[in-house]
Amino acid sequence: LTAASIPLLADAQSAPRRPVDDPNAPTNLGAERMTGRPDREVILEQDAEVTRGETTLNADRATYDVVEDRVKATGNVRLKRFGDRYTGDEMDLKLDTGEGYVENPTYHLGIRNAQGKADRIDFEARDRAVVQNGTYSTCEGPDPDWYLQTGTMNLDTGRDIGTASRAVVYFKGVPLFGSPYLTFPLSDARKSGFLAPTIGATSRGGLEVSTPYYFNIAPNRDLTLYPRLIARRGLQLGAQARYLGDGYAGRTRIEGIMNDRVTGESRGALSALHTQTLAPGLTFNANVNAASDNEYPNDFPGSITNTRERLLLRDLSLSYAQPYWSAIARTTNYQVLQDPLVPIGRPYDRLPQLGVTAARQGVGGFDLGVVSDFTRFYHPDLVRGDRSVINPRVSYPIIAPGYFITPSASVHSSSYSLNNVATGNPTTLSRTLPTFSIDSGLVFERETSFLGRQATQTLEPRLFYVYTPYKDQSKFPLFDTTLAEFNFSQIFSENRYVGNDRISDANQLTAAVVSRFIEEDGVERVRMAVGQRFYFNQQRVTNEQAIASAGAVNAGGSASENKSDLLAAVSGQLTQALAVDAGVQYSQSIGKTNASSFGVRWLPGPQRVLNLQFRKDVPTGVDLVDLSGQWPIANRLYGVARVNYSRLENRVSEGLAGLEYKDDCWVFRVVAQRTPTATNVATTSLFFQLELTGLSSLGSNPLTALRNSVPGYTRVNEPVR
Amino acid sequence: CGFKLRGTGPQPILPFKTLFVSVAETSPLGVQLRRNLDVMSNIEIVSDRKLADAALEVLNEGRDKQVLSLNSQGRVREYTLLYRVNFRVVDKEGRQLLAPTDLVIRRIQSFNENQVLAKEAEEATLFREMQSDLVQQVLRRVSAIKPVQ
Repeated sequence: LTAASIPLLADAQSAPRRPVDDPNAPTNLGAERMTGRPDREVILEQDAEVTRGETTLNADRATYDVVEDRVKATGNVRLKRFGDRYTGDEMDLKLDTGEGYVENPTYHLGIRNAQGKADRIDFEARDRAVVQNGTYSTCEGPDPDWYLQTGTMNLDTGRDIGTASRAVVYFKGVPLFGSPYLTFPLSDARKSGFLAPTIGATSRGGLEVSTPYYFNIAPNRDLTLYPRLIARRGLQLGAQARYLGDGYAGRTRIEGIMNDRVTGESRGALSALHTQTLAPGLTFNANVNAASDNEYPNDFPGSITNTRERLLLRDLSLSYAQPYWSAIARTTNYQVLQDPLVPIGRPYDRLPQLGVTAARQGVGGFDLGVVSDFTRFYHPDLVRGDRSVINPRVSYPIIAPGYFITPSASVHSSSYSLNNVATGNPTTLSRTLPTFSIDSGLVFERETSFLGRQATQTLEPRLFYVYTPYKDQSKFPLFDTTLAEFNFSQIFSENRYVGNDRISDANQLTAAVVSRFIEEDGVERVRMAVGQRFYFNQQRVTNEQAIASAGAVNAGGSASENKSDLLAAVSGQLTQALAVDAGVQYSQSIGKTNASSFGVRWLPGPQRVLNLQFRKDVPTGVDLVDLSGQWPIANRLYGVARVNYSRLENRVSEGLAGLEYKDDCWVFRVVAQRTPTATNVATTSLFFQLELTGLSSLGSNPLTALRNSVPGYTRVNEPVR
Repeated sequence: CGFKLRGTGPQPILPFKTLFVSVAETSPLGVQLRRNLDVMSNIEIVSDRKLADAALEVLNEGRDKQVLSLNSQGRVREYTLLYRVNFRVVDKEGRQLLAPTDLVIRRIQSFNENQVLAKEAEEATLFREMQSDLVQQVLRRVSAIKPVQ
């Protein structure tokens, strides 16, 4: 039983940095010429300088009012405080509170290197300023690539938030975007604001504009709105909420379009995860996914609910866990988004599934355990009914650093009460089968070196013997069972099936050897493994359905063979930058490779990664080459691409190509993508995004396709922390 | 060829004799970590943090499942399963004996819509096996901790 994991909120929340000034700091005055009355008013002429704590003001001429602790300055006024700088023609500033104003100013905020100019700035406090008819930009220099032209702008460096009314964004002198109201972050901290908008087109929806908005509600909850205008269909609204609290956490994504102009219907999708601790040990979990219609994944491929899958799970469960036992009550159902050309079989509903598991280790040297499960399987058309399974197990593990031997015995006992069966077939069935197994292994070590570094090499031979008697199970239904995928994990399992409807007969021995190179600090550099299973009896339990649907050989060795395919694998992080992973499954009886994979990842630095994978699996019908990468092409220009090429069909099944241009204060991205969505249906899309650094909030990149497609991808403007 | 049975040579000297494992006793990871650490002859696992020379703290444990490849019909054919643990070892005074370390185990699982319930069970089996693999890697890191100079 699996529980969907809930991604946690990033905890990068910065506390407000309110500038603290010493209230008793003395005020120092300096100038070429000072006149006035020392206890009332001082007039400073030529190179006037007034300092108090973190504040320094320079001007041609200034008057300091001693009683009010206030400066009036004119001519080349320059103010520095807490890393921020202002210039202007005329300034009035109360030094103790930081209140005042400046005429015809320019400003520069230290935290984000933001700058601008204005008609007037009113200081409401040391960290709050109101800017009249001003500009804002994070570009350097007098002629910024982009700037914000605003009517009134509030810069709150204490809360790291800027707000602007009557704002227009200019890029290269051209007005791009206007808004009556706008907020933007003044630092890298998570703040409410617009995320970088995207403009593009898809083959199914036509022109598309998306302007996501992020609400940072509290450190442990946030909300992102994804309004998206799709030319052919209308306005789609999407939202994602994340929350985390004492004993609960969750994430919900929802999107919908009120009246799709193509179909004339309201359409939408939902994906919600929630987990709640009701009492110590007692947890409620919900994982609910839904879509309005079968065509949803075809028509909305860029969905935030990720309805790429055509089976949408609804799973509600209540679980109770104690140190030695646990119980779960669960109900599940799948919504099938049917593809009429290649129909999907409707999975069984579990209404409900009840399970109790108990385990106790080290009772007089014995490990004791029992797994029990009752499930009512429902299907409108096929055989349905109740299945009860109880599976007690006892083992006696002998474990030492250099070896282990674990003999164990278990009994699988199950009974079925069926209805809707074909005429002549039984409505009740039961079976009880014992299983004996011995798992054993040795661990040898030697000191050696690997690529010039001191390392320990291990040699770990392992033998695993299983005996289960045969019982004819051809009349038993197949609710949740299929032949397990053949791999290193499966050759060490007692049953060749996953699920409880088939218990394979076994009189078999698995032999494997693993060797690792482990560095001095315990890091595993390379692992090599080889393994095979030997059958002493012919395997008689078969899974009619799986053989029919796969139409392929039993990957674990066909029934008449006396051994399984040979498995061999090598994987390792050869150097800091280079990792390889390769595996092969070879049938000695037919002299053919049934499955093979070879992968290499080269990650020499940030924004530089290349992945190449060949994967072939005859039984499951996979034969592909997957190439992806991110690489600088020229100065400031980065390329991103992925090609997933099916060698079975001799065509590209998924493809993505992108370019990212990074300037000092903006990034421009173009991404083209082709995604298959149903039989003979593929969506192509092209998206543009201009990210003005420091204006849009740092949120999830709307072009998440880049990150999802290229393992190891890093943002070109990743903030340096 | 120089291979010796593990445990027959001199044991590495660890800067702690008793270790507390800060993972819930009801969690499968906690059970497996304690059991495997207990086998090491030079460590004793204690259940009271105050009595321990050092603590193994699991800072983050997470599972993830991502679509790896689609076939030409747009159906998911492979998933990547990811199991991630971030852990560190601190001594009684709170000094880090092992800085926070990220371990990630990846497996590829093939998928077929017509076997979704069985694939769900297989996914659970794979995650259990990934957890055992990861526990072994944690063990090796812990047993390689050097005394603070």
